[in-house]
Amino acid sequence: MAGEDDKRDPPATDKPPERPAEKKFDRRDVLLGLSTVPALGLFGYAWGKKRAYDRAQRPEGGEPKAAAATNVREVNVALLGAGAQGQVLLDAMLRIPGLRFRAVCDIWTEYNQRRAVNVLRKYKHEVNGYEDYREMLDKEKDIEAVIVATPDFWHAPHTVDSLQAGKHVYCEKEMSNTLEGAQSMVRAARETGKLLQIGHQRRSHPRYRHCHDKLLTEAKLLGRIVTVNGQWNRAVSADLGWPERYAIPPERLKQYGYKSMQQFRNWRWYKGMGGGPIVDLGSHQIDIFSWFLGANPSHVTASGGTDYHDPSTHEWYDTVMAIYEYETPQGRARAYYQTQSTNGSQGYFENFMGDQGTLIISESEAANSGLLYRDPNAPAWDEWIRKGYVTAPKLQDRNEVSEEQEAAVLDVRESVSPDQHRVPVVLRDPYHQPHLENFFDTIRGTAQLNCPAEVGYETAVAVLKVNEAIEAQRRLAFRPEEFRI
Amino acid sequence: MASPRVQMIAIVVMRVLIGWHFLYEGLSKLTTEGWSAQGFLLQARGPFAGLYRWMASSPDVLSTVNQLNMWGLTAVGLGLILGCFTRVASAAGLLLILLFYFCNPPFVGYFYSIPTEGSYLVVNKNLVEAAALAVVMVTDSGRFAGVDRLIDSLRGRRLRARPAGAADARTALPQDAA
Repeated sequence: MAGEDDKRDPPATDKPPERPAEKKFDRRDVLLGLSTVPALGLFGYAWGKKRAYDRAQRPEGGEPKAAAATNVREVNVALLGAGAQGQVLLDAMLRIPGLRFRAVCDIWTEYNQRRAVNVLRKYKHEVNGYEDYREMLDKEKDIEAVIVATPDFWHAPHTVDSLQAGKHVYCEKEMSNTLEGAQSMVRAARETGKLLQIGHQRRSHPRYRHCHDKLLTEAKLLGRIVTVNGQWNRAVSADLGWPERYAIPPERLKQYGYKSMQQFRNWRWYKGMGGGPIVDLGSHQIDIFSWFLGANPSHVTASGGTDYHDPSTHEWYDTVMAIYEYETPQGRARAYYQTQSTNGSQGYFENFMGDQGTLIISESEAANSGLLYRDPNAPAWDEWIRKGYVTAPKLQDRNEVSEEQEAAVLDVRESVSPDQHRVPVVLRDPYHQPHLENFFDTIRGTAQLNCPAEVGYETAVAVLKVNEAIEAQRRLAFRPEEFRI
Repeated sequence: MASPRVQMIAIVVMRVLIGWHFLYEGLSKLTTEGWSAQGFLLQARGPFAGLYRWMASSPDVLSTVNQLNMWGLTAVGLGLILGCFTRVASAAGLLLILLFYFCNPPFVGYFYSIPTEGSYLVVNKNLVEAAALAVVMVTDSGRFAGVDRLIDSLRGRRLRARPAGAADARTALPQDAA
């Protein structure tokens, strides 16, 4: 061994003394020194392959699409409010062809605005950043559509001024934190003749549309819906922070209605700004209650409070339980809704229970995305299975029945368990994309708004009354004319 | 016993593979819009869980951690593949891997909801990769095959002027092999 080693590599061991004094390194040094560079080339090749594969996997493509490549008319867009929700909408819009971004407005110029502008420039949109939305509306004459994703208490002024400046508006829900604000928005849309879509995005979700149009309206799979329940459970999360070096100067915060950076970041919890979880989360689902039941509520009872968080920074209720009553075209229905911010188990869903079947539906693809149960007494669903409206029933697994269960005597009062089916509709795009597409298609005249101002207003009336009922500590009635303007 | 030269080639191959892994981990995070270590950090278990949760607690710290992680992985990957500043790169890589290891240590009595692809008891692939990096670090293979060899040669006069017997990876290699 040792002898072999001695002979093994004479050039290497002998090299240094032989090296000519004037040369820093020889051919061997260069070869060995760069010997692993081809590995990097190989990596680059594999990386390119992987990127190309990932791109091909995305049906719409996350890449910026040249508007010229599509046949649709280009729409000039401004984003008003580039916070968390603004970014969600922006990400979805970057996947929609035929949009040209012109401006971004956000009072957090140091952070949100800069980030949104940078993202858009990366996607080859020449955008200007603004702090004051009025300046943006004055200067950017080419803008056709404004996307409003600011805090709720700014929705009315932002939307009304944009409509009056001749722009179509997509405004996030909740339409406004006050009914007066929401009314002014409906009126402005009517007066200007411009489009106003409210961001209850489930109204355009293909699974929700399938359930509403096909399963409930056409096939009437649930029979008569008598009870509904829904929830949005969210785990405890810390208040939103901010990088100290990017804090907004106090004067600017004050100018736009905020007492502090803490309030600016966590406006949802403050009275006069947002409405708490019942408005942030519940609004989406209570909107679906009315839509699927085909009626606005007649009464509401509610209990809630700031049970867990610090009431000085969480003015709105962290826990809310509400019961609605409806007089639907089929008869009376009751709906229970809860939202809480201390435990995220079982997530969020809406559950419609009729005398012939049950539908559990959620925007989430991960859990409760769309399950149907056919009551054993209901007519067979084979026709709808053949049409592809629902999947075939799940086969019962004998192994799932434990020995204890088999040994137990079935109580005669217990119902036979229903068949389980699935709603065969999956959305692979971001949740907000179909609703935004519906808005832009309506601008181009090829669609109709799925959630125009009047519909958003009805939901605002139904939802804002919950906080009122909690304060009143009694059952409140809705007058039918309350829902109309 | 394989010759020192063969030993060194084996170590270089290992170094390049680890570098590849680091480079891809870094680049894939850099190119994922909005990637953050927050979820990973919040899953932390074990004796240092508090430290990881602290990292995820404030946006300032988290964004620094994210940047350091993404760019650190990428830089270490490049360093290891090219054999450039190999010792610094492998030491930094070792540190990163140990940070990952101690975030979710496969110790008896800790339970994770995300399934692992194998069966681990105390030792997992993170720890094995860390040990491999320790070998790369102490053998300084960049001076055998890598850009370090060229850097070394550029500064060569000074190095070679040192007293004889100083370890030189380009020639002597693992000292116990002789």
